[in-house]
Amino acid sequence: MSALRPLDKLPGLNTATILLVGTEDALLQQLADSMLKADCTSELKVHLARSLPLPCSVNRPRIDLIVFVVNLHSKLSLQSVEESLCHLDAAFFLGKVAFLATGAGRDSHCSIHRNTVVKLAHTYRSPLLFCDLEIEDFRAAMAQRLVRLLQICAGHVPGVSALNLLSLMRGSENPSLEDL
Amino acid sequence: MDRRAWQTTVQRVAKSQARLRQLSTHTRTDPKYSEFFLTRLTKIIRHMSLNQQDLDPDSTTDVEDVADAEEELVKKCEEMWKDMEECQNKLSLTGTETLTDSNAQLSLLIMQVKCLTAELSQWQKETPEMIPLNEEILVTLGKEEFQKLRNDLELVLSTIQSNNEKLKEDLEREQKWLDEQQQILESLNVLQNELKQQVVTFSESRIFNELKTKMRDIKEFKEKLLVTLGEFLEDHFPLPDRNVKKKKKNVQESTAQLITLHEMLEILLNRLFGVPHDPYVKISDSFWPPYIELLLRNGIALRHPEDPTRIRLEAFHQ
Repeated sequence: MSALRPLDKLPGLNTATILLVGTEDALLQQLADSMLKADCTSELKVHLARSLPLPCSVNRPRIDLIVFVVNLHSKLSLQSVEESLCHLDAAFFLGKVAFLATGAGRDSHCSIHRNTVVKLAHTYRSPLLFCDLEIEDFRAAMAQRLVRLLQICAGHVPGVSALNLLSLMRGSENPSLEDL
Repeated sequence: MDRRAWQTTVQRVAKSQARLRQLSTHTRTDPKYSEFFLTRLTKIIRHMSLNQQDLDPDSTTDVEDVADAEEELVKKCEEMWKDMEECQNKLSLTGTETLTDSNAQLSLLIMQVKCLTAELSQWQKETPEMIPLNEEILVTLGKEEFQKLRNDLELVLSTIQSNNEKLKEDLEREQKWLDEQQQILESLNVLQNELKQQVVTFSESRIFNELKTKMRDIKEFKEKLLVTLGEFLEDHFPLPDRNVKKKKKNVQESTAQLITLHEMLEILLNRLFGVPHDPYVKISDSFWPPYIELLLRNGIALRHPEDPTRIRLEAFHQ
């Protein structure tokens, strides 16, 4: 099984594809539904996967953005994401990967410390988003945000590339992270 | 342009778009402006063929114009296609590279620097591409722009209308409320006037009643005072008859029946209030002289300045 590469296939006309990776099937499905409901000029395609690598037999469109969903309540989800990261081409980390941590709202249920995910995202130089996906309003807002991100990653926004956006987002990063 | 020709155009455009993406990826950066540009071209071609269907079949010149414009656009797409074919080859040669935790940060940062530099130089080299300024294309663009504007304005209109309706409802509700408040005010005013009159009559009768009770109280008090005074006088100033009789018999031949101090004071009082202009009373034999002396000495009674046989009660009430 080969690693997933960005820009490995011909793009569809006005199509943007996002891949959500995580062990929480129900949450991913809900997030996908919210994204498809969001207002967007491009044609959206949402793919879900429990982990990488993806089976190569399936004919799938080019993937523009990968979001790794980590549930802070489950160590398994973090472990699975960490293992999946090895099956990605390095070029994906130039703005086409984002980490999404859910469940931070209920502190008592957390079995993974927040800093662990912050460190992970920092290691892979990718943005980390926090959102309680179980709450519908938060999920809708996050879906809207991901759609905007996806449009940029798919090249549907003139003048801004994924790498461009990544360097912009880095600017807002907490400076103390450099010390980690 | 018939349907099949249109379909081939769309396919060609799609292909060129795909190649354009590949073209921009040879620096491992994303397709940016050119892809957007190509999407726009596709849209324009679609619009133009739609317009063409609406056109009057007689005006053949228009149709020709549109066909020309489309041909021009398709030609442009073809040019892009050629460029992209080159890039496609280059891209297929690059291998994949996966990361491990240990090397991730450094190699990613190096890659970022490379890519950002490449992107920068590309932006500096790139001149913005222009859509060919054919009349038909401009018309289509203008129409598209107007359509967009119209949609936006319609949205604004509907929003404002709904806002207006809401405001109208609010106004009605407020008006209703105001009316109600005014009605309440009116009825309250009426009530107040009624109450005012009631209060006046009510207060008169009340004052009257109050006075009555006061009077009754005072009368009772006076009665009590009189009774108490009578008892006091009976207890402390009894008639001297029995005890003193024997002594006095030899001194004074008093034949008159003596009256009590109580009765004397009553006579004086009645005279004072009954005939205020002449309150003097003639001292009769029935007045026991020591009592007269007592009254005179203590300033309760006064002797007439000219007639020593007459006395009056001191006017304490004046």
